[in-house]
Amino acid sequence: MTSTIEQLDADLVTDEAVRPDLPWQTIVWDDPVNLMTYVTYVFRSYFGYPREEAERLMLQVHHEGRAVVASGNREAMERHVHAMHGYGLQATVSKAEP
Amino acid sequence: MIVAGREGGADGVRIVLETEEAMLLSELADQVDSVLLLGGDDDPALGRLFPSAYPEDREAAHDFTRYTRDSLVDGKRQAAQSVRDATATERDAGLVEIELDQAQAWGWLTFLTDLRLILAERVGVTDPDEAEPADDERDDYLRAAYEWAGIVQGSMLEVLDPIGR
Repeated sequence: MTSTIEQLDADLVTDEAVRPDLPWQTIVWDDPVNLMTYVTYVFRSYFGYPREEAERLMLQVHHEGRAVVASGNREAMERHVHAMHGYGLQATVSKAEP
Repeated sequence: MIVAGREGGADGVRIVLETEEAMLLSELADQVDSVLLLGGDDDPALGRLFPSAYPEDREAAHDFTRYTRDSLVDGKRQAAQSVRDATATERDAGLVEIELDQAQAWGWLTFLTDLRLILAERVGVTDPDEAEPADDERDDYLRAAYEWAGIVQGSMLEVLDPIGR
């Protein structure tokens, strides 16, 4: 048996339509041009990630072809992608998998 | 080319270029500026500089481009112009010494990235380890410029982010 509140929460989690705040993602894609050290430095400088995390994400981009480098509302993700394009990285905005 | 830290441990980087290197970089920066100014939407190099933010949603991609393209072009052109101006020199003028603070160094890093993205498109780089024989002299020249720009950028990063590899 669940309380009404809990049921409401469960509905909110499973129903995208009533979750306008459902996280969006900034995805950076591998490209054959950019230096690994450059990508790491961008992640460190722009997102403020510690070196270890920046390198982990860079290696994920390199080996798996893509990595989610940030999550949040859509507007914030568009700002990030705008910035990534400024740095010359291949980045896209996408809706987080529910 | 020498890339080193600045005197007194100040943020940024110091670059010393041979005259020919400075002239080459200035010329390339001017060309990048021209591509950004004149390049049409059918130029595939611009596809690398301004990738779609929403590959599966044309309308959202269009809106994103509408809101961001001008500022991206401005930023990239400013970076290219600052490199062009910093490296402007004349034959037999001797070494060109350039001091960049952190913000200026970022301008160089992003310019070198844009330059390499454009050159990669022109010579068809799809894999950095691919040893493809160049077709002609032009490709040799562009490929050498591509490699060299990568060396300059890598050397800068060794100074700016020294713990990195």
